[in-house]
Amino acid sequence: MMLLVRRYLWPRWVRSGRVLLGLLSVLAVLAMAVVAPVLAPHDPLAHDLSLTLRPVELRGVYPLGTDGLGRCVLSRLLFGARAAVLVALPAALGALLLGGGLGLAAGWLGGRVARAVGWLAAAWGAFPPVVLALLLVAGGSGVAAAAMLSAWPLFCRVLRAELHAVAARGHVAAALMLGFPRERVLWREVVPAVLPAALALLAWVAAGAVALEAVLAFLDLGGAPDRLSWGRMLADGWEVVFLAPINLVAPGVALFAVMAGLALLGDGLRGTMGLALPEARLADGALAGDGP
Amino acid sequence: MSVLAARGLTVEARRRGVAVPVLRGINFAVEPGQVLGLVGEAGAGAAMVGRAVAQMLPPGTAMTHGSLSFQGAELPGMPAAERRGLLGRDIAFLTPEARAALHPARTVGAQLQAHLQRLGVARRELRAHAVAALAGVGVAEAVLGHLPHRLSQEQCSLVLVAMAFAGTPKLVVAEEPTAALDAAAQGRVLAAIQALRRAQGAAMLLITRDLLLAGAICDELAVMTGGDIVEIGPAASVLRAPRHPYTRSLLLAYPPMRGARPDLYLLPEPAVGERALARVAGCRFAPRCPVRAEYCLRTEPPLEGDAHRSACIRTGLVPAIVSPGEVPPPPWRPVGEVPVLALEGVGKAVTTGPAWRRETVAAVHDISLRITPGEFVAVVGEEGCGASLLARLAAGLERPASGRMMLAGVDVTADGADARQQHAATVQMVFDEAKAALTPWRRVSDIVTEALAVRQSRSRVRETRARQLLAEMGMALALGVRLPGQLGEAQRRRVALARALCGEPKLLVADGLFDGLDAPAQADLLGLLLRLRHRLDFALLLVCRDLAVARHLCERVLVMHQGAIVEDGLADTVFGWPRHEATKALLAGSPR
Amino acid sequence: MIASLGWRLLLAVPVLLLATLLLFVVLRVLPADVAAMALAPGATEAEVAAMRAALGLDWLLPVQYVIWLGQMLSGEWGLSAQLGVPVARLVGTALPATLELAALALVLCGVLGVSGGLLLFALRRQGGQREGRAALAETGTALLMAVPALLWALLLVLVFALAWPVAPVGGRLAPGLAWPPGTGFLLLDALRAGDLAVFGSALGHLVLPAVALGLAFAPPVMRVLGVALAEAYRAPFIDQARLRGLSGAQVLFGQALPLAAVPALAALGRQFGLLLGGAAVVEAVCGYPGLGRLLVEAVRAADLPVLQAAGLAFAVVAVLAQAVVEGVCRGLAPRVRA
Repeated sequence: MMLLVRRYLWPRWVRSGRVLLGLLSVLAVLAMAVVAPVLAPHDPLAHDLSLTLRPVELRGVYPLGTDGLGRCVLSRLLFGARAAVLVALPAALGALLLGGGLGLAAGWLGGRVARAVGWLAAAWGAFPPVVLALLLVAGGSGVAAAAMLSAWPLFCRVLRAELHAVAARGHVAAALMLGFPRERVLWREVVPAVLPAALALLAWVAAGAVALEAVLAFLDLGGAPDRLSWGRMLADGWEVVFLAPINLVAPGVALFAVMAGLALLGDGLRGTMGLALPEARLADGALAGDGP
Repeated sequence: MSVLAARGLTVEARRRGVAVPVLRGINFAVEPGQVLGLVGEAGAGAAMVGRAVAQMLPPGTAMTHGSLSFQGAELPGMPAAERRGLLGRDIAFLTPEARAALHPARTVGAQLQAHLQRLGVARRELRAHAVAALAGVGVAEAVLGHLPHRLSQEQCSLVLVAMAFAGTPKLVVAEEPTAALDAAAQGRVLAAIQALRRAQGAAMLLITRDLLLAGAICDELAVMTGGDIVEIGPAASVLRAPRHPYTRSLLLAYPPMRGARPDLYLLPEPAVGERALARVAGCRFAPRCPVRAEYCLRTEPPLEGDAHRSACIRTGLVPAIVSPGEVPPPPWRPVGEVPVLALEGVGKAVTTGPAWRRETVAAVHDISLRITPGEFVAVVGEEGCGASLLARLAAGLERPASGRMMLAGVDVTADGADARQQHAATVQMVFDEAKAALTPWRRVSDIVTEALAVRQSRSRVRETRARQLLAEMGMALALGVRLPGQLGEAQRRRVALARALCGEPKLLVADGLFDGLDAPAQADLLGLLLRLRHRLDFALLLVCRDLAVARHLCERVLVMHQGAIVEDGLADTVFGWPRHEATKALLAGSPR
Repeated sequence: MIASLGWRLLLAVPVLLLATLLLFVVLRVLPADVAAMALAPGATEAEVAAMRAALGLDWLLPVQYVIWLGQMLSGEWGLSAQLGVPVARLVGTALPATLELAALALVLCGVLGVSGGLLLFALRRQGGQREGRAALAETGTALLMAVPALLWALLLVLVFALAWPVAPVGGRLAPGLAWPPGTGFLLLDALRAGDLAVFGSALGHLVLPAVALGLAFAPPVMRVLGVALAEAYRAPFIDQARLRGLSGAQVLFGQALPLAAVPALAALGRQFGLLLGGAAVVEAVCGYPGLGRLLVEAVRAADLPVLQAAGLAFAVVAVLAQAVVEGVCRGLAPRVRA
């Protein structure tokens, strides 16, 4: 009985330090994004040219100082979390649904569907993700949509390779032999086995989407020039880096913290559940000739 | 001087800070040209001796006392470089899983030549030497250019043998050298080893869990259990007149190849774990011993005798251990029933090779076969004979490319909803890798009643049926709440068996069900299947490597060779008067 | 090896064709006003109408695609809407620059990947007794992976170009040096002309962006190599090699590494594609006039002729590189998966 309790209610991955640390940082950013309007001491867009480049005064009116236009750095940092979350969350989930769905369909149905999905993913993957995102933005798509559309082939390939590994296991064949229809076997035996890998990958893709949002904002593409984003702050801070380094350090640290949190979360999940590295799965897939 | 001598060899493992003895001060000696067999179940410590010779003990284990010397030179004290100089030259190792023991991405020729070069063969003579070495074990020269995955297990084993004897070793340590092989290949590989060994005058230490195999080729046998040698003596004497209850009961757990079919002796599972065993003061075997007395648990018996020594103070009682009875004949069936499985001229090809060079090979062809209800049929044959594919065809995991296939009178040749339903209702299969075959996140009681989940039966019904099935399998009801990862290997096979039998199929297909089991576990599973046969009404199609197991369990035997059935008849007839060369080769390689 | 490489290159052709279809959809079907994108801002009504006719926008989409594909394949890429110069010349000078950068970054990636992978594996092997070290190593690589190319580039430029100016940024060559004639691959041309000053300056301009890319994209290679080595060491052939008397170094470098290098090489090949994408960002930060910066400028100015040509160039390079690496890997290990 104790064994079951330990296994179901207090599993290993919860006790892993990496997962806890990652979860903590991701939750912190989510919280920042949600309660930004409450926590922010100032309007993040309000500028005051008489108060530019104020130094850090943790107990002052501007705790993290102001930028070159006199805007509150802390407020911008808090609202910048919103931009990251609003891109990363829909992009990662959308890529999971699109790529995961296609990958599962290809792996499970085989035949023509598999070939079609293989070609589609190969053509899509022909463009480096950042390049594809830039082209999509040029074509008029939003940042979140561009992040999703450039990330789905990753899900597709990794989950397909994962599914190949699972489908070869005896319990799948046993369920088929017992007379379960194929779609029930998929839901009963295959999807639960693939799910942990999908979750770990979700963190990975979310980190990629956060980085992509920052890059696009840094380059001032695909959005308003005065949008609230860490990437925009990096670009602004770059101009004044020697006068007020906090303008560069604050968004840089925030960006790193989120990406590190997501990486630790994904990697911790993967490690404690004994899953293969997604990079290794991709290499496997390439070597086994998945795709066309 | 002995080639290899162990005196008071003690190896200890540290488990959570506690020292657990793995080898408890054992003594043995291998004389030049002699073959000593170390026999023991998994965990008995036999494999640890081989590791100690190479001084490559697993992490956390260490040799703490005693001595182990090769030609008078102490192995543990030797500098690492000097010891490595011995390995591969004077001491050669044969390991199980020959294919995996070769580098997967190098050609056989490259690996063999690299080894020869290390032995000092001149660069320009490498190829000639490699060809000669392969010829010495009867492998064609063409194999040199192949990667290991294109070779059969037998060829891989022979390549390893050629490498081992290339350096004219004084001692060969062979650990389960034929574990992955079918009977015929086992015979040929052992013959090659023995021929080279005799020609070079090498001594051999054979480490195996197969007592009969060891008995067939060893001069001297040492039987181990719980890290101790409990009996040691000339092989013939140990097999014919064992003086230790463990040896005697182990011998009785093997099914015989001819004569009557006795019930196999059921040695109880090791009741106490490794750590608890370390605290047992007396005889290692006492907790499982059928003739133990109270004092056996308290005092350790010395290894006594002259040429044939045994560590038992109740040696006189050993002959009293006998098999419990005889296997009852198969249940009576009326004549003329509709066969559960009928194949008519069935064939199936498999395609291999990269996309630009596809090759199609006929894996099985022109198979005609009828299995009547309740009949137990064994399929034996060499590696690649098509037996496994036949099993998968029968189970519906593959569809025949040609011919006709009927299940209980219904044509299921073409794939379709009806055919699949008929398959699910009539045939079930158990796989060789029980661990992968059980859904890791489902409880045992849910796994065994999967067949009811197809029809979405109520949980009350499933719970009752699960209890019934576990009892049928001789498993404790408490195991029902466990997950497969928390079970032992023998128990997992029972769970897989229970799942297959839950829907009361008319035909059970089993492939490799007995592979990798120790003799006691195998005897246990054989007994279970024979009991079930009289309680439930099912036929069996068993693919197995061990001819004696096939004969013990099944009244009818099919011999397959190159994708066709070449012999079909009563087990005693086929094995007693073999007609086809394939059958003769299989029999020649079986040690009994 | 030759067969698998040839087969893989053959497959790259339809993949690229499909990729052009995607490019067409993204750049010609999705945007609201395609004709305006192909023209400089402030074009007259008549110019827009003429451009609509030239692009064939009144035709059915499949026909448009065929016309467009014909133009793309025959090299008629037109004039840049923004700059008014031929697109072919823009891409022709930017592509060698990016290839040079990517090649140098890839070498760095490989060196960092192999040394990091060996280190990871060494820590993991000791981890048998000390679990802490293995976990620390895993956490370390996860953190390393969390630093995007953008941050590496900013950090490196800040430290080594602005605070402590040891490496130049901006352009490919110090002002005042003459471009050697030739292929456009500056390092090669300089070597061929024997002009060491140019070579040194060009290499100096490459260092920061290449190091940023190498650092950002090496961690996956490290991890794949570390895992592949650990996996190889679990295989019986390693035991058998040690039992034949091979030393630890011989087993690692002669037996395990050649096998583990195959998935690591495959990972490196995949990283090359990602690295090209990263080049777009890093070039913008370092002011390196490569294909990535060209693309970014074109996106900013909605310059359709440059966008489609640069996008296609990226796809061709990425697909060919991927095909070569996969072909070689599959030739090296024809049966990695049983």
